[in-house]
Amino acid sequence: MTNVTSTRLPDYSLAIDTSAGTTVALLSLGSVVAEVNYLEPMTHSERIGSAIQNVLKQGRVSPRDIYQVVVGRGPGPFTGLRVGLAAAKFFAIGAKAKLVGVCSLDAIAYSYYLANPDQSLPLLVTTDARRKEVFWALYTGITEGVPSRVEGPSVNKPEFLSDHLKDQKHVVCELPITASALGQVAYYQALTDTGTSKDSSPLYLREPDAVPGKAKKVSG
Amino acid sequence: MTFVIREAKQTDLEAIMAIEVECFVNDAWSKENMQSELNAPHTYYLVAVVADAVVGYAGSSQLDGATQADIQTIAVKPNQRGTGIGRALMVALTNQAKRSGAKEIFLEVRADNTVAQKLYRVFGFKQIGLRKQYYQPDGVDAFVMKTSLLPAVTAEPLVLGIETSCDETGIGIVRGNTLLANVISSSMDLHARFGGVVPEVAARAHLEALGPVLEQALAQAKVTLEELDAIAVTNGPGLAGALMVGVGAAKALAVATGKPIYAVNHLVGHVAADILDQGKLTVPTIALLVSGGHTSLLLVRDLLNDVQLLGETIDDAAGEAFDKVARVLGLSYPGGPEIDKAALGGNPAAIRFPRGLTLPKDMDQHRYDFSFSGLKTAVARHVELAESKSEKFVVADVAASFREAVVDVLVTKAIAACLDHSIPRLLLGGGVIANSRLREVAIAKCAASGIELRIPPLSLCTDNGAMIAILGSQLVQAGYAPSTLDFSADSTLSVTAIQS
Repeated sequence: MTNVTSTRLPDYSLAIDTSAGTTVALLSLGSVVAEVNYLEPMTHSERIGSAIQNVLKQGRVSPRDIYQVVVGRGPGPFTGLRVGLAAAKFFAIGAKAKLVGVCSLDAIAYSYYLANPDQSLPLLVTTDARRKEVFWALYTGITEGVPSRVEGPSVNKPEFLSDHLKDQKHVVCELPITASALGQVAYYQALTDTGTSKDSSPLYLREPDAVPGKAKKVSG
Repeated sequence: MTFVIREAKQTDLEAIMAIEVECFVNDAWSKENMQSELNAPHTYYLVAVVADAVVGYAGSSQLDGATQADIQTIAVKPNQRGTGIGRALMVALTNQAKRSGAKEIFLEVRADNTVAQKLYRVFGFKQIGLRKQYYQPDGVDAFVMKTSLLPAVTAEPLVLGIETSCDETGIGIVRGNTLLANVISSSMDLHARFGGVVPEVAARAHLEALGPVLEQALAQAKVTLEELDAIAVTNGPGLAGALMVGVGAAKALAVATGKPIYAVNHLVGHVAADILDQGKLTVPTIALLVSGGHTSLLLVRDLLNDVQLLGETIDDAAGEAFDKVARVLGLSYPGGPEIDKAALGGNPAAIRFPRGLTLPKDMDQHRYDFSFSGLKTAVARHVELAESKSEKFVVADVAASFREAVVDVLVTKAIAACLDHSIPRLLLGGGVIANSRLREVAIAKCAASGIELRIPPLSLCTDNGAMIAILGSQLVQAGYAPSTLDFSADSTLSVTAIQS
């Protein structure tokens, strides 16, 4: 027999982000095999299970073939963000895969640079942080597939941001987050010296809203 | 009402025919047909018996060596419906089909019989075809339905349960009805400075705790994820953001391991907890669930099929009232144990605080409901009044009197529910059951009324994953189909939604 076939399986990774909508992608060595995107910002816990199942089915891949789970750490509205983080954590445990975290804004910057190779001006990525604030990060370009974040992620009022960047020409992008971009950032990070981050903790950037309680007066 | 399922005998023919005619009227089988069905070598007929009288029957047919079985008929006397008999007959037929090597079961049902269709869907039946005007002389269509049988369910399924509805991250593991692990990580201390559970703080803590809690539970049970037969998760009621953490994690774990998932009701889980202590749940029973988030009175006729909400709090939960009054008295959080301590040596009759919703006019509308917000205000007013007059008040008396008012209403209404429904059984659940006075009064009053009282150990009363696992295990054992992956976390899930 001379018919030699490679027995090496492609390195499959599963990328999950719920910092805005629900987006899940299956990647093989950095290229996208399947992706499911739900833009609506409220249905993460309903969607997440079948979204994962769908990309695996489309790619005809069993959970055991996944060597790495990439999760978007936000920033983003907390309730939805946590659904993806919890799912990624338990999928990784169940599939015995490794878990890595990526700042969700990095995925947006990656998508921008993919479509706009011009890197002469810094790139400001913003997403809606509600309460008249934005989550933001500033990038100076992309090196070997990894966006170079120089500031952020932070949360501020738009007025602060325009004042902060008033002397610095820049371009702004508000592209949607896709899990495919997130997975690609992790893929390229692994190839660089810095490597991927094992930190998959949420980037909340805000403390919970709560004030230490006092008994209120009832008579008066 | 208890019923027994046994194989049908020739002597049951008359009783079966009486029900056949009553239930199916125009398309009832003839006595001759029914007799040959009962006699045929490839059929399996069962009857349900209540007090020696046949009240229902069901039959299936499966040729020797065939991998397909057919459900031929199922009927329950109208006055016996809604008590779980139909479901029990279906369970028995399904189990028999599995034992005989069936992989699929088929049946036909009248298109206008939505009640039966609902029952069949519980067992995973889906419509696969239509027979036009099958039922004559009525000219009604038949739906052809089919279910695929999972590999024979082990009598003792290994089930992992995940609970994140409030401030405890709980993962439990059971095999059959036996507890193997019950690991709880509480974020209670993080809420202390706020004087109550802060939903966002609780949800953040769940995300952090889930991984370590899962690891510990698997280690404690000495099992691996591969060995599991199913995963169960609380999908409500509770804090929405907290529930979603558990739901997201459980769904992903189910997909990653290829295990079926069961979305179950938190309150019914509290009832199921008694199985872990007793090996079984005696029904019917009244259940009083009291915690920081719930104050509910349930009537449980069948754990998987028939749980009814008799009443609940219309404002604060009892545990919340303890927390709020503790703050008024300058005590720390959580209020329950602090007030228990402060009440030591106090006179419970010193101050007659109001008992919410116990006046005759309230009892008409809110017989089994609770209200604690007025009581909390009355305590605050009492304290403020004393302070404004620079009078000293005895904290022990206030604490004891307040606690007495809460306990009095809880126990009195629970016992009324038992007596009204002629059910001499009361089951307690929820974290507030830790309150020593509540236990004392419940024990004394139940004994006086001839009511059997069940109080599971405290580790099973507070929110925990084991109670979710045991409820999941009951569903698996009874042959219920798993939930589909797109169920939602529902903060106001009704207690009648036992599985979503």
